[in-house]
Amino acid sequence: MTDSTSKTVVLWLFVAAALVTLSAPTIVVLGASFTAGNIITFPPDGLSLKWYGAIAQASDLRQAFLRSLIVAAICTAVAIPVGTLAGIALAKYRVRFARSIQIYLLLPFTIPLIGSGIGMMLVFGEMGVLGRLWPVGIACCVINLPFMIWAVTASASNLSPDLELAAANCGAPPLQRFLYITLPAVLPGVITGSLLMFILALNEFLVSLLLVDARSVTLPVQIYNSIRSIITPDLAAISVVFIACAGLAIALLDRLVGLDIFLKSK
Amino acid sequence: MRTPRAAYPLTWRVMDGLERIAAALWPASFQRGLPYLMLMPAVVLVGLLVLGLFQIGDTSLRTLDTNTFLMSEDYTLANYRRVLTENFFATVAGRSLMGAVIVTAVTLLFAFPYAYLMVRTSSPALRKFLLVALFLPFFIGQVVRAYGWLIILGNQGMVNEALGLVGVPPMRLLYNYPAVLFGLVQYMLPFAVLMLAPALTAIPGELEAAAASLGAGWVRTFRHVVLPLSRPGLIGAGLVVVTLSLTDFAIPAILGGGTQDFIANAIYDQFFRTSDQGLGATLSLMLVAVGSIVVGLVFLLFGAGTLAMAEARK
Repeated sequence: MTDSTSKTVVLWLFVAAALVTLSAPTIVVLGASFTAGNIITFPPDGLSLKWYGAIAQASDLRQAFLRSLIVAAICTAVAIPVGTLAGIALAKYRVRFARSIQIYLLLPFTIPLIGSGIGMMLVFGEMGVLGRLWPVGIACCVINLPFMIWAVTASASNLSPDLELAAANCGAPPLQRFLYITLPAVLPGVITGSLLMFILALNEFLVSLLLVDARSVTLPVQIYNSIRSIITPDLAAISVVFIACAGLAIALLDRLVGLDIFLKSK
Repeated sequence: MRTPRAAYPLTWRVMDGLERIAAALWPASFQRGLPYLMLMPAVVLVGLLVLGLFQIGDTSLRTLDTNTFLMSEDYTLANYRRVLTENFFATVAGRSLMGAVIVTAVTLLFAFPYAYLMVRTSSPALRKFLLVALFLPFFIGQVVRAYGWLIILGNQGMVNEALGLVGVPPMRLLYNYPAVLFGLVQYMLPFAVLMLAPALTAIPGELEAAAASLGAGWVRTFRHVVLPLSRPGLIGAGLVVVTLSLTDFAIPAILGGGTQDFIANAIYDQFFRTSDQGLGATLSLMLVAVGSIVVGLVFLLFGAGTLAMAEARK
């Protein structure tokens, strides 16, 4: 069948180009981190782990990574209750002005990141809390909150309202219904959402750049500041930390809820 | 003598207590307000952004006094006049807008086949591979990805070294407009595919089979069946890609090397290089306005597409 062959060829041409573009930086960074030379060359000067030794010694990088972890933890801790409640409310109840509320809650996506970042920088500056880590965590939570709400609404709309009615019929009071029926039903969404929130906050660059000062740089900002001077392999080695975190998050996501969840039509 | 209550497990007692507290705090007569109470924290959190916008608006109406380096006390529209009249800002805005349009077109062109293959393939292994290849860069962050491109495309980068081996002199592949656009396409691909995939899943495969059985080739099937039905996904994906690439900071900063500034870079420079907060705020506000108008128009004309959050309720 030539028709389906030509379709396969065209499809794969595009997909192959996309795959190369998507994966090239990751693979190259991985490769560069194992180089034995002092600069990144092609072909590489042999293999070594010395740059991993170098970053293990560098306390500024270690601290920046620790700060990124704290920011991501704060972001996730705030996003889980806030996003779960809002998601359930939007999916399960008939809310007045639901459309307006939806548009309002999508503001973090529709307002350009630089606008949100500058705005929150001014607000937190006015409050005099710039340079601390929790405002960065809160800011990361705000800008990615729609991801969390999305994930929860997607799984909440699969929950049949009859189940809750049945529980109520068996005498379960409201809190019990929420804890034993609603919450387990939306759990896949909560897991997906919180993993997304964590990993996106860990990687968040622009908002961090605007909200941190010299004493509280997070790892992406630290890498950005070092990129500008010269490209050395220690940056590749520290970048591999991000690649490892991303790999871990994907493995967890696949294990706990399955990556296919992103393909489901709502 | 044992009372029947002794058989009552502890967890039940705890739950009963919690129920009583919940009922006291939120009596059943307030039932109708419950969803609003649940929405409240999210509304407050997003309120930070609204507050930020007001702050930006306030700052944008003040000018920088170059003698004292303080912001003026009284409001003027001078910043807006400067933004609208100075050529520099028109150049930057034009560059960003054109970039966003090109990036969106190219990204959708590559994201569509990717999403289509991912959704339609019968092999679970291939689907998983495509998903992982998509999520890995998505989860790695812009800075690391841009760093990877620096290694590949730099003057002493992989491509130039490889070209050198076959005798081609090194080329300047970085710090130009195409490099920025290329970086943006790579950054946007995962977003676009993830927005498109649910819309493509919603198209029944039987429709395509029906079109084929009626004699349509795959090009015609694609053009008259798949493409029109995937409109919600294309709108969602296009919207996300346009707004994100229009307002991106990291890629133009790292791959453009300061010569290919987008609007976000101009705003950053106003705040942190020239310290003219008023002008920076004006630029931010105008960017927000342009972005909102684009999004609003698309919402009005086509609906929210796959961006809608609660449309699923049947």
